[in-house]
Amino acid sequence: MGYINVSKDPEKSLKNGYLSTTLLGLGQTISVFAKQLFKLEESVTIQWPEVEYKYSERFKGAHFLTKRPDGQVRCTACFLCATNCPAQCINIVAGQSSDNGIEKYPVRFEIDILRCVFCGFCEEACPVDAIRLGPEYSMAGLPEQKWVYTKDYLLNRSEIKKQVGAKQVSKKEENTKDASVMSSLPNIHKSSGSGH
Amino acid sequence: MSETVTLTIDGKEVTVPKGTSIIEATEILGVEIPRFCWHPGLSVAGVCRFCMVKIEGMPKLQIACNTTCTEGMKVITVSDEVKDAHKWALEFHLINHPLDCPICDQAGECELQNYYMKVGRYSSQMDEDKVLKPKALDVGDNLVLDTERCILCSRCVRFEDEVTKTSSLGIFNRGDHSIVGTFPNRKIQHNYSYNIVDICPVGAFTAKDFRFKCRVWFLNETKTICPGCSTGCNITLYEHKNQRQYYRLKPRKNMEVNGHWMCDEGRTMYEHLNATNRLAVPTIAGKHLSWNLLGKEFKQKLENVKGNADKVALVLTPQYTNEEYENILTSLKTILGNLPKIYVWRDSAEKIDDFDGILMRGDRNSNSKGLSQILEKHAAQAVTLSGDFSPLASSSANLVLVFGPEIEKSYSQFANEVTRFAELSNVIYFGTTLNPITKKFSLAIPTKVFAEKNGTFINFKGIPQKLKANPLVFPAMKGIEDIFAEIKA
Repeated sequence: MGYINVSKDPEKSLKNGYLSTTLLGLGQTISVFAKQLFKLEESVTIQWPEVEYKYSERFKGAHFLTKRPDGQVRCTACFLCATNCPAQCINIVAGQSSDNGIEKYPVRFEIDILRCVFCGFCEEACPVDAIRLGPEYSMAGLPEQKWVYTKDYLLNRSEIKKQVGAKQVSKKEENTKDASVMSSLPNIHKSSGSGH
Repeated sequence: MSETVTLTIDGKEVTVPKGTSIIEATEILGVEIPRFCWHPGLSVAGVCRFCMVKIEGMPKLQIACNTTCTEGMKVITVSDEVKDAHKWALEFHLINHPLDCPICDQAGECELQNYYMKVGRYSSQMDEDKVLKPKALDVGDNLVLDTERCILCSRCVRFEDEVTKTSSLGIFNRGDHSIVGTFPNRKIQHNYSYNIVDICPVGAFTAKDFRFKCRVWFLNETKTICPGCSTGCNITLYEHKNQRQYYRLKPRKNMEVNGHWMCDEGRTMYEHLNATNRLAVPTIAGKHLSWNLLGKEFKQKLENVKGNADKVALVLTPQYTNEEYENILTSLKTILGNLPKIYVWRDSAEKIDDFDGILMRGDRNSNSKGLSQILEKHAAQAVTLSGDFSPLASSSANLVLVFGPEIEKSYSQFANEVTRFAELSNVIYFGTTLNPITKKFSLAIPTKVFAEKNGTFINFKGIPQKLKANPLVFPAMKGIEDIFAEIKA
């Protein structure tokens, strides 16, 4: 292992041009400052929070849950996101849906956002495109209970609604059966059935 | 059945009784042939055509479950031809199988999934739409049926016909419209219905009790013994890996005791293990007492009656392990100088010799035999309290130690009978279930449940069987043996 020996002798530093290089650097700073002050050059710094930085579409920020076209939650409570989550921050309680085509739905779906590492594994594991990582990156706040995102909150992200917008409704092909299919199913208990 | 035949399976020679099928012979050797319809506890159906093996001298592959072993037969279970047969048989099974895995409770322990990873791994060549069938049918008190997931192995139909003899299930319609279902106006309502969920290789039958509660890959398995009755079925207990929560139990094969099955009554034996129903901390005259101070208080109570063993009454219930009985009796003998008066508390309504013809026995206590053996060993005379508590009341004991039942529902009059003890003065009660009555005892001590103990139950036949301990639901809890060890020290 090699290392550079940095001299701390001030006299030696002066001799090597300490003062001249400092002035040179200061000149650079002042010239950039002056250029940007008089709008001769575009500033790299943005005036956050008045100006929001626009991240890429694929940015992995805070989660949201998608809906079916009819507004119902798309999640089927399969627990694959919870299984895959390296931070174990997803807590789901499954229930029986009244809709037989859906069967299983999450009664509770909670993300402990303080434990979340924003890896996006939940999004990747989801077989039904129900959970996505959204554009929201600024999540400052005070009260303790805010940090466990509930199902209602994840489904209706009011503060980022504009950004999420249509993305919250997943267009993924429905796996449910409509009424016409259900009625043509063989009914084993119908005595007058013609049979096959 | 003394006649035997010798055959060769994958180059290994095996001698089996005449009439054994190839699949049974491979089980002896430990070779697993993929199967759906064959189950060791049921008759042979030969409908899934999955257990194909090559038999030398036969032009085509044969099914292992319905081919009898003959002398000098040469069977090959691993070859390209056999692998190919398994692969395409599996594709046929999956043609109309819905992609329900995310919402199916069987996912994780599904034989279709397992065999796909073992012998399948093909890309589907099916271009047609899947046939749709009725889903989530309510077919009984405990079962939900999804006919779409069914692969028509007919295990459930044979179980109903052969084991419970209720015959309420059948396969209806033809071809790819075949569905399994109950006969009109029939429901599956016997005491062995959860076995159908176990034997179903796919998720067609799911248990209402377990449905949507937990995914199976979150569960740990413990091999232990059912405490529900004196049969002592061998079971596997499923506990959540991260939370201290029990979800279900399943039977484990033991041909000497329970075969492959167990009753629905026994399946509820996980409910009293969870923290919500448990007595968590000791109470002294209704007030909480810390585990550290318990030893001192208990010792004090025993010291008060030292030397007066006949003024102490010990009430036992047949639901503790042999080791615990042994510990209780020897410890009390050392502390008091002699054995106290012993009473055995039994349910007043029990019919000990009842038997439902399959597994469940009238004696709902797990260790009646063990208790009587230990008492015999110590030459102790026990008085049975069965509905009549006068022998105990008239004994005018200064101290009563009650080792209450772990499974309170096996005592039909439990709520009434336990108050009879609360009426006495200076009672030390050992129990597991949270019960308002425990506050009335001068000292109530929580005990471990069967899932947290290492010990022995002796079943009605006299077979000793070992329990295996899980981590404690309440980590601070002390067992009976710990408490006695502490006060003896």
